[in-house]
Amino acid sequence: MARFLTKDFLSGAMFIVFGLTALYFGEKLAVGTAVRMGPGYVPRMLSYILLGLGGLIIVFSLFSPGEAVERLKWKPITLVTIGIVCFALLFERAGLLPALVALILISSAGGEEFKLKEVIGNMIVLAILCTIVFKVGLGMNISILRGVW
Amino acid sequence: MDLLSNLALGFSVAISFQNITYCLLGCMVGTLIGVLPGIGPVATIAMLLPITFHLPPTASLIMLAGIYYGAQYGGSTTSILVNLPGEASSVVTCLDGYQMARNGRAGAALSISAVGSFFAGTVGTIIIVIFAEPLTRMAQKFGPADYCALMALGLVAAVVLASGSVTKAIAMVFLGLLFGLIGTDVNTGAQRFTFDVPELSDGIDFAPIAMGLFGIAEIVVNLERHLERGGAIKVGSLWPTREEIRRAIPAVLRGTTLGSLLGVLPGGGPTLGAFSAYTLEKKLSKNPGQFGKGAVEGVAAPEAANNAAAQTSFIPMLTLGIPSNAVMALMVGAMIIQGIQPGPEVMTKKPELFWGMIASMWVGNLMLVVINLPMIGMWVKLLTVPYRYLAPAILLFCCIGAYSLQNSTFHVMQVAMFGVLGYVFMKLGCEGAPFLLGLVLGPQMEEYFRRAMLLSRGDPMVFLERPISLGLLITTAALLILMALPSIKKARKEAFQEEG
Repeated sequence: MARFLTKDFLSGAMFIVFGLTALYFGEKLAVGTAVRMGPGYVPRMLSYILLGLGGLIIVFSLFSPGEAVERLKWKPITLVTIGIVCFALLFERAGLLPALVALILISSAGGEEFKLKEVIGNMIVLAILCTIVFKVGLGMNISILRGVW
Repeated sequence: MDLLSNLALGFSVAISFQNITYCLLGCMVGTLIGVLPGIGPVATIAMLLPITFHLPPTASLIMLAGIYYGAQYGGSTTSILVNLPGEASSVVTCLDGYQMARNGRAGAALSISAVGSFFAGTVGTIIIVIFAEPLTRMAQKFGPADYCALMALGLVAAVVLASGSVTKAIAMVFLGLLFGLIGTDVNTGAQRFTFDVPELSDGIDFAPIAMGLFGIAEIVVNLERHLERGGAIKVGSLWPTREEIRRAIPAVLRGTTLGSLLGVLPGGGPTLGAFSAYTLEKKLSKNPGQFGKGAVEGVAAPEAANNAAAQTSFIPMLTLGIPSNAVMALMVGAMIIQGIQPGPEVMTKKPELFWGMIASMWVGNLMLVVINLPMIGMWVKLLTVPYRYLAPAILLFCCIGAYSLQNSTFHVMQVAMFGVLGYVFMKLGCEGAPFLLGLVLGPQMEEYFRRAMLLSRGDPMVFLERPISLGLLITTAALLILMALPSIKKARKEAFQEEG
């Protein structure tokens, strides 16, 4: 199993997955001829190249196994991503302030140290800063709290 | 005396009140992110890209350029004072800079690096002025096939000089090219890979991608690693001794030359310049044992080199429209946002923008010396801000910036998506920079490729029949073959080992 968990093997597999995905979704695009290329010509060419390179990387990785992939820490990447998604969902529906609170609270929880007092202080500073820079300074059309301001 | 009148035009644009304000702003932000580890110029420029939409073109490009070379100045401060590189390009400065600081010569190291950087920046700017016109004139003779070959060379060279596996980096370029095709096909109007998402039909916006790949992924990795901070050190007198000056001057000259040369190369840029300059100094030195123990040359040369390279890396972008590294790819993006097609026409059609930007670089370098030396105390204080405050702030600015691109939360979702993808890339040892270059060049390259093939009636030999295109392709092939040679492979591996 270990020989398949190297960075090289997995990245080769990743390129192949991307190549196949592009082939699958680009299937309906007309290829055309070399003189009059259709919208599908270049995408298909790139997909085949990706498949080839991915295969090459995999073959090489089997002959000389390189570095193994480090153990993943799920907490930071998951929480940061959830934080951004929450921001996106709340921003237009509820306004900047709730979105900001959600993003900072969730993403701060992804770090090693989490002190509620500091996080709240950080929120207050950033909320004031963002309001001044984006709403007042740049005059962006955003609401701080939906229905209020 | 075209050169002088061009420069005069440039300076008249650069010192207008508005432009000088944005130049100062860019330099301040650049120094700030240079000082702070954990956020680099790529992420910052991506973050600020949406805001530049509200600015006039010249002002926005001047500001973004300021961030880039400002970061080179700021990065050295952190390296010298707390032994933490603020930027990748100042990693080598840590070696001797921090040792100088421990010997009580922090002030001298700072002023040598600032003045050396200023000198190098000045030379870099002069080089841009001299080479811009001839290169642009040459580029105007290029046909579609030649452009396609030039882009191929640019992409391959960028890959070769980047660290890590060449095969993987090339695959990343192709992956980037593929992502660049998302959107409406310009020739037929067909929707490609848009999955019926209306936001994707105008093509994929690369600002959220750059934010995700470089900003978010970097934050996550830093959160995992738990970034440590050393204690700050006293700066002391800023004046170097006569002996230190005597040793620094030739090192600065050599660093400037090497950095200027390496900056022009595709894929080159500040980091490569700094590493090579350090290696060169060590080889030339009569007592190499001093290096790593606080040698003045070990600070002066790489600092001059990284700044010179930061300046000259603008040359391919400004004259040919070909970005040589990730930051330049974003500058190309900034131009496109403003409705300017990067390439040789920029100089003839928008001389005030072209020369104004170049002149502003010199003005900016001058400002940076002032920002960095007398105000050093302020930056040192900033270093005490812990990363757990900084990370949410960067995330927040990325999210708001992405939203403001087109007032749509779809772009914020994109940031999240590419954050995850960037994280996967990092874990698999695949570099983001070749991907970004491919992404930016993708649509243009396809366009030139199709046009060249149409003109040649479908004969791919056109790429080999035109002398310019042939020459460029031979160079590209030669580079690839060189990389496959075992001896070079080994030397390359060693060179990058030193980096890590």
